[in-house]
Amino acid sequence: MNDIEKISKELNNLPEGWIVMLETSPEKMLEVSLSTIKFLSDEKNYIGIIVSASRPQKNLIQLYKQKNIDTKKILILDCISKSQSLNLEEASNVLYLESVSSLTNISLAITASIQRIPGDKFVFIDSLNSMLIHNKPEIFVQFIHGILTKMRIVGVNGLLISLENETDKEVHAEIAQLCDRIVII
Amino acid sequence: MLKDETKKSIEQAIQMNKHGVIIMIELPINAYFEMNSSTITLLTNHGFQGIYISFQRPFKNISSFFESEGIDTSTLLFIDAATALSGEKQHEDARCIHVSQELDIDELVKAIYLSLPKLKSQKKFIFIDSLTTISQYKPLSEIMRFSEFLIKTVRKENEENVILIFNVAKDLAQKKFIRDVAFHVDQVISVENNE
Repeated sequence: MNDIEKISKELNNLPEGWIVMLETSPEKMLEVSLSTIKFLSDEKNYIGIIVSASRPQKNLIQLYKQKNIDTKKILILDCISKSQSLNLEEASNVLYLESVSSLTNISLAITASIQRIPGDKFVFIDSLNSMLIHNKPEIFVQFIHGILTKMRIVGVNGLLISLENETDKEVHAEIAQLCDRIVII
Repeated sequence: MLKDETKKSIEQAIQMNKHGVIIMIELPINAYFEMNSSTITLLTNHGFQGIYISFQRPFKNISSFFESEGIDTSTLLFIDAATALSGEKQHEDARCIHVSQELDIDELVKAIYLSLPKLKSQKKFIFIDSLTTISQYKPLSEIMRFSEFLIKTVRKENEENVILIFNVAKDLAQKKFIRDVAFHVDQVISVENNE
């Protein structure tokens, strides 16, 4: 079974409002992210809310287009571009947030996006490792706990991607126990 | 699903013929909630009614899952601490006991203490879904005070059979405050990863 088949299999068989932790290697991380988003938007017809702490919106849009992901089904919460003074391209499917460490703003933006977007959707946190570079572990765990609780209250699906064996053991355990499934690819 | 061996350990603990049994269950992180659910199934199948204190998930999410697993949720009361911690509005339901967003330990303790008599069965349990999750929000001294209160409450319930269950993630079971709590329990049950 290849990685794409594995992602499809694991995400096909979950109850409504699922929360999944995806763990992979640094080499596979981008491909796993893109394949997962493509599967959920194409096959499941979900709208994706992408919380990006790894790549700026401009780069993500290019990658999505290369992968034939319908960018009309994507909203990017870009936590990178503003803090790095990059050119902020005007687009209807992006919100530029102050920085990866502005966890309250990120939380408010996720909540507002969930409320604003009708229909089936998922929130994709990309990635735990990138966010942990900029945040204290105990504060970050609280942030994830809060976000996942809010998502579960309204029944929104969620994906958290992280590098296998490269996340602090305690942080990993605290977050993983909140998820419905851990998928290692 | 719990393995027969784990089920047997829990069954032996609940049938100790002793008032106030306290158990710590160490769970693998890859099936944490499923295992919690299996434990509740086991307890309710043995005629227990209980209070489920949830630090991890909101009430509606838990109750829907339990119902899909065939658990009679009318035998349970829930304290939805997860929603309180997230600052969201708690679900209106007769089985769901509200706690304030500050989640004061004394308030939590009072809510548990006042809820116990509402359970009709002579066999009762108090189920803490995760000790380490609440420790992300509260000082360890408060967590220890909370645990000690529960342990004392269960030990002094002379006329009724009350079981107290603390769940912890296996990967976090070596934390000092968890070891301190484990020192006071009657039995520690470690659930294997492949169950």
